[in-house]
Amino acid sequence: MSDHLSPLALNALADGELDGESLAQANEHLAGCSLCTTGALHQSLLKSATARAGQRYTPPPHLQERLMHLAAAESSQAERPELRSQVRSSGSRWGTLGWATAAVLLLLFGTALIVQRNLRKAEVASVEHTALVSEVFDQHVATLAGSLPPQVVSTDRHTVKPWFQGKIPFSFNLPENLPKDTTLDGANLAYMRNQPVAQLLYSIGKHRVSVFVSERPSSGAGDSLVDHSGFHVMDFSAGDLEMVAISDVDPARLAELAGAIRRAQTGNQQQHR
Amino acid sequence: MTLLRWKRETQERSHQTPVFEELAVPCLASLYNVAFWLSRNAADAEDLVQETFLKALRGFSSFQPGSNFKAWIFRILRNTYLTSRSGLAARRTVALEEELGEHESGTALYPEGAIDRETPELNLIRLNDRAALHAAMESLPAPLLEVILLCDVEEMKYREAAAVLEIPIGTVMSRIARARTALRRLLSSPTRTPSREFRA
Repeated sequence: MSDHLSPLALNALADGELDGESLAQANEHLAGCSLCTTGALHQSLLKSATARAGQRYTPPPHLQERLMHLAAAESSQAERPELRSQVRSSGSRWGTLGWATAAVLLLLFGTALIVQRNLRKAEVASVEHTALVSEVFDQHVATLAGSLPPQVVSTDRHTVKPWFQGKIPFSFNLPENLPKDTTLDGANLAYMRNQPVAQLLYSIGKHRVSVFVSERPSSGAGDSLVDHSGFHVMDFSAGDLEMVAISDVDPARLAELAGAIRRAQTGNQQQHR
Repeated sequence: MTLLRWKRETQERSHQTPVFEELAVPCLASLYNVAFWLSRNAADAEDLVQETFLKALRGFSSFQPGSNFKAWIFRILRNTYLTSRSGLAARRTVALEEELGEHESGTALYPEGAIDRETPELNLIRLNDRAALHAAMESLPAPLLEVILLCDVEEMKYREAAAVLEIPIGTVMSRIARARTALRRLLSSPTRTPSREFRA
């Protein structure tokens, strides 16, 4: 009875986190200690006050609508069989004499569907690519801003590559011969699209480069280069691997490094998985 | 009756897609509220929620049915925040534990005697002053604000908050103790508005 309840115990009591035995002991103590009873009451009052005050911001009405639209766009690619069945069923209503008209209408309808689907696919691809660029940019800037060294620090590709064993569900090759003034600094295990990816860290002169290697079926969109807040973001693929390189170095030199990494994959496709 | 392959797939999809929306939509208000508290402006909060939503949608196959969806999507929100521009300031600063001295006992910085020097009546009045509470919460360092938002506002258990923040439960307990002690201190001296930013 002489020891008062600790702040941790008072908080756990207010949060309903004390187990049976601890709760019984706390209650027994509170029954004879006005100081701790007051403290427990204040903890509970503070908790309920912050719970109310914390409910401060309400999402704008358009946000949910926009997210639903994006979700629908994401899943629209899976709707093709359904749409096709609608075309079939509508066509079957026409009589024999209307076959020619029906065929024309079906053709127009099908074309419209294809155009609409392509527009949606383009919209989805655009949203995905924008999100990818933003995510890559944030990760790269976070790496530059952080004072911590890479998780694996080595200029040796035979050290960096094996480090990822068991950390990512795929394998990749690192180029033996790098372009002039280009060095491997190390690598990090990173996450993109909520999946583990390899973040390879290079230096081209004094410019830092991040190359994110992930396993993803190629979108078939080919290579792309975009600028984002002064950084160049280069998206390229090799086999089952998608790679995104980002740096503020000259795009031509970034492309040289990207080419070297891509060439390194071609001799060892069977290693994936 | 045997279903055609495409019809079966369509039905399977129609069962899957609503599941994500049914789970995610009820969380949107909470996600936005926490995102706004963390990012401090509406535009960043919207971006944060949208990116979280899309990441969760794409990674939904990795979600274990029956596990805690709210904790799962809040972890995505927090990781997205940490890699966002508004989260970089927190990443660049020294760790709170180093700055304040994290102790599992939660008593090192704010001893028990520092808790209640005000009269109960005065405390009650201040707890009903929403503007003062908002100001006090805004003054909290991000790691302390996070546990208040998760444990008090979102009513998560310590175990769930620990999963979202990817820290041990003991650290959640010590942070919540320090957060509430800091709130009491801030509420007892309304003119004091310490900076929310970590010391660089």
